[in-house]
Amino acid sequence: MIEFVLCIIVILSAILALIQKDLLKAAILTGFSGGALAVLFQILLAPDVALTQAIVGAAIVPVFIALAVKKTQRSDS
Amino acid sequence: MAQTQLAILLTSAALIIIGLYSAIFIDNIIKKIIGISFIEEGANLFIVAIGYKAGGVVPILMPGMDTSWFAANAAYPLPFGLVLTSIVIGASTLAVMLALVMVLYRRYGTLSTKVMLADTSKQEEYNE
Amino acid sequence: MNELIPLMVIVPLMAALLISAFSKLNKVTKIFAFVVAICLPLIPLLSNYGLHYFGGYEPMLDNVTGIMYHPAITYSFTFLQQIIICAVGLLTFLVIFIYLTKYKKVSGPYLFLLFLGTAAVTAMILTDDIFHMFVFFEILALAQVGIVAASSIDFSYEMALKYMILGSIGSPIMLLGIGFLLALTGSVNVTDIALAVHTGLIDATSPVFLLSLALIFFGWLYASGLPPFHTIKSGIYSKAEPHGAALLQSFTVVSMISIVIIMFRIYSSLPIFEVLVVFFSILAMILGVSLALTQTDFRRMIGFLAVGELGFIGLGIGLGTNFSITAGLFQALNEIIITALLFIGFGAVVHATNEVDTRKLGGILAYHPKVSIMLLIGGLAMAGVPPLSGFQSKLMLVQASLSCGFPEISILAIMVSIATFVVFVKTYYTMFLKPKPNDLDLEGKEVPKSMVFAMGVLLIIIILLGIFPDVVTSGISNFVGGIL
Repeated sequence: MIEFVLCIIVILSAILALIQKDLLKAAILTGFSGGALAVLFQILLAPDVALTQAIVGAAIVPVFIALAVKKTQRSDS
Repeated sequence: MAQTQLAILLTSAALIIIGLYSAIFIDNIIKKIIGISFIEEGANLFIVAIGYKAGGVVPILMPGMDTSWFAANAAYPLPFGLVLTSIVIGASTLAVMLALVMVLYRRYGTLSTKVMLADTSKQEEYNE
Repeated sequence: MNELIPLMVIVPLMAALLISAFSKLNKVTKIFAFVVAICLPLIPLLSNYGLHYFGGYEPMLDNVTGIMYHPAITYSFTFLQQIIICAVGLLTFLVIFIYLTKYKKVSGPYLFLLFLGTAAVTAMILTDDIFHMFVFFEILALAQVGIVAASSIDFSYEMALKYMILGSIGSPIMLLGIGFLLALTGSVNVTDIALAVHTGLIDATSPVFLLSLALIFFGWLYASGLPPFHTIKSGIYSKAEPHGAALLQSFTVVSMISIVIIMFRIYSSLPIFEVLVVFFSILAMILGVSLALTQTDFRRMIGFLAVGELGFIGLGIGLGTNFSITAGLFQALNEIIITALLFIGFGAVVHATNEVDTRKLGGILAYHPKVSIMLLIGGLAMAGVPPLSGFQSKLMLVQASLSCGFPEISILAIMVSIATFVVFVKTYYTMFLKPKPNDLDLEGKEVPKSMVFAMGVLLIIIILLGIFPDVVTSGISNFVGGIL
């Protein structure tokens, strides 16, 4: 059952990230999507991929985007 | 559990379509880049789903396991190895793109693609 | 000496890492880069033909079905790989030589990118593993973006970002295509996949197989800059430094032929594959030449002509006979050398005049006769004037399309060659022969000797290949016989 919930979290947070006006919120929602994807990989019997995705998708990518937003501008206009 | 696999495939298709839509139609460059990272995640999810075996076990041979039982029940590990590489490539591509965006923001003062990546020949005429 | 096969990739890769780590030591970096660059064309000449299995995993025989499986990443090294790697290595050497003599203080990251790109294309042409090729395809895209962004030309960052965005849409799509192939066959080794397709283990008309063709084909179009990516490809040539552009176009040609050979081995049983390749090639030929005619920036003009020449390679491969594929691959080798000569020569003009607009130039022939004459011969070779190398390969292509029963295509190829000739001669006239405009100052500006040397070396190769084409074509023909 949990995999369906995770699928919905992944898609919803992806859509929400793209309709945010605040780019910092978009970065955090990208992290949500990446983290849910990592758990999904664990359910799909790939623990090594899940570890990598948890680090890259839930931590590194949102931090990169947040840094870029901090150096540029925060609102999407 | 064919349902699981179907749900995963639909999710990856949805991620790819969301990503393509945002990469083509959204004007803000950072959101475009976020969308591109979704395309990569969708492709990764699809490839992991290939290796999945319903009701199988993690493809790590522990001591004491029967080899033929393991061969019949373990998931297929080759796609997982490929996805590991692909995730890291995606992250590094994203970092390079964001670095270029940060340099260009200093010149234009906006994140709009229409201003930043307009046809370069027109930009040259404008400067003259 | 089969141990040298992986070294062709490892040497430039290690050199790239070491140079970027020790770029503070200027003199040491210069000498090291020069020594490694000399080694690059020599290693493939010294190595023997053969296969190399990474990790030593030999092919395994399945006793039940009697099929060989290749568990290791395999590098196969034959005559075609030897000649192409040698050409790219020589070009890398010349480009690095020009770069080292042009600047007193060298930039470590730029040399890193040049070596990284060379390593990536070498791995792409050697590998027999479709995912391995994808990884180096991504590395190559990053290196190309870096080379463009590192140039000091206006709007180079914009062009780099545009190319990167298109690339990061194109490469996941190609990965998806590889994923479909993996789902069908359970393998990423091209030999295994091709065997499974040709023995009928997988249905060649199934929609999944066709979809994988479409997705990988899209990635190929992006990598080779055929339409609809011709504008961005000629754009990145014009925004890179001239010697960088000379190397970038060789990367494009090599990645194009390495991907198309892999696609040919897998999909050659589908008739639609050959139709698609021929269609996009003809489109590239026509669009490249007609857009080149309207350009006023001569770097952009050469960029579009280079895209048009790529169409000839695709045409040869799309026709699908032994003779035509040989002609296409020979054309690829010629294009690597001829276009590099043109980019370096026009780079010398930019260096001497600081002007890229053909309308503001004129009368350069009297001031720089050596460069002008070498450029003229290079342009004639590209247009296919005998007895230069471009003539030999284009003649072979025309013969091949005639013997396949497509006289229309051969007429089109001849017309595109003539149009290339017209475009080149028109630009040449306005830049070199027309009276000098009054506001153009040409006095006392020297062309670097290293550029003249590089052009001379490339010119000798063009003339030799034009007089003795059999040296190369017989070997390539053997290779093509192996994959058909």
